[in-house]
Amino acid sequence: MLILMRERSVRLIGLALAMFYASFIVWLYVRQPQTLAEVTGGLTATVGAYRINQQAFEDGLALFRRDEFEAARAAFNRADPAGQDARAQFYIAYSYYRSGWGLLYQDNAHFSKGLEHVDKAIALAPGGRLVVDDPELYIHSADELRAELAAGLRVEASDFNPMRVFRKRK
Amino acid sequence: MKAATEAVYLPMLFLTVALLGGLRVDDRVTFVPPPLFALVLGMMLFGVLVRGRVIAADRLMSASRMPLENLNGLVVILSTFFAAAQIFNLVTPESGLPFLLFNVFLFVLLVNTLAAFPDRVSVLRSMAIITGAAFILKFIVLGALSNPGEGVLKRVLYVLLEGATLGTLSQPVLHPAAGYIAFATLSLFLVGLAMLPARTRSEALIKLDA
Repeated sequence: MLILMRERSVRLIGLALAMFYASFIVWLYVRQPQTLAEVTGGLTATVGAYRINQQAFEDGLALFRRDEFEAARAAFNRADPAGQDARAQFYIAYSYYRSGWGLLYQDNAHFSKGLEHVDKAIALAPGGRLVVDDPELYIHSADELRAELAAGLRVEASDFNPMRVFRKRK
Repeated sequence: MKAATEAVYLPMLFLTVALLGGLRVDDRVTFVPPPLFALVLGMMLFGVLVRGRVIAADRLMSASRMPLENLNGLVVILSTFFAAAQIFNLVTPESGLPFLLFNVFLFVLLVNTLAAFPDRVSVLRSMAIITGAAFILKFIVLGALSNPGEGVLKRVLYVLLEGATLGTLSQPVLHPAAGYIAFATLSLFLVGLAMLPARTRSEALIKLDA
């Protein structure tokens, strides 16, 4: 009887382990994490236990407002090492937009990275809707920022309009 | 077969193979799901394993077993299939003419093995040779041909080869760790195959009354 009970426990534990491991593998293949921080952050976010480093986020905001975008990105990345926070990803995308924006031309490398991060922000936001209430920003919604970045990457006739030098950075 | 082997060791081993089979190490790590043809080859390999008595499906799932035992058996069957598909994903080149040739080569080999009705030891030996040969061709031969290297002579030979084959032969340059990971994954897979519950050929002596 004891042997049967023991065998049953082994089978149950094995089944649970296999289910958990298979789910983890599927999760890895779907999410494609790049670092160990992304793996642990992604798993904690799945159970709703992920928290960003608030101090680093505040530092990032301060640097962003002083137009020190590279330093701001470093701080935001430190605040959200797993890339699981929609707001941090929004600010990173915005910093790429502002870094890459120019009167005569856009830096496509910065805009592409910005697009990558804003897509991530949209994917992370509940229902895909993200609005950031920051009075110091010109663009508040992730959709609007995405449209701005995507437009910057397209080559259009309006790009050759000399009047574009009068447009303003958002 | 012991409950621990069926419920814990075999699923863990084959799931690890399924995980590592799609792992590609480069400047970034990616997990590549098996292409459709790898699933077809995986299914064929599973057929070879059943036909060659490497895996006795009725020792894993049957009406005489308890529901929990059948569930454990189903996990072993599914994990074996996905591991097999990922092994083909691992040893097949990523693109170009080698991708096509390898798939045809593996398909023909598996059809041949299916038709031959081999015994367990022959199937295991055949698996080791098929996967081992594909590993050597992809990670050693093609890996060396696709790496321009440092020396001037090697670079010139690389350019000549690229020109002669119209770029259809060369593959993305492999990370130094890729071969080692692939070797470990293949070894794990072969160990797993050897651990599967097998069916032994039974013989009976029948005495005829005169």
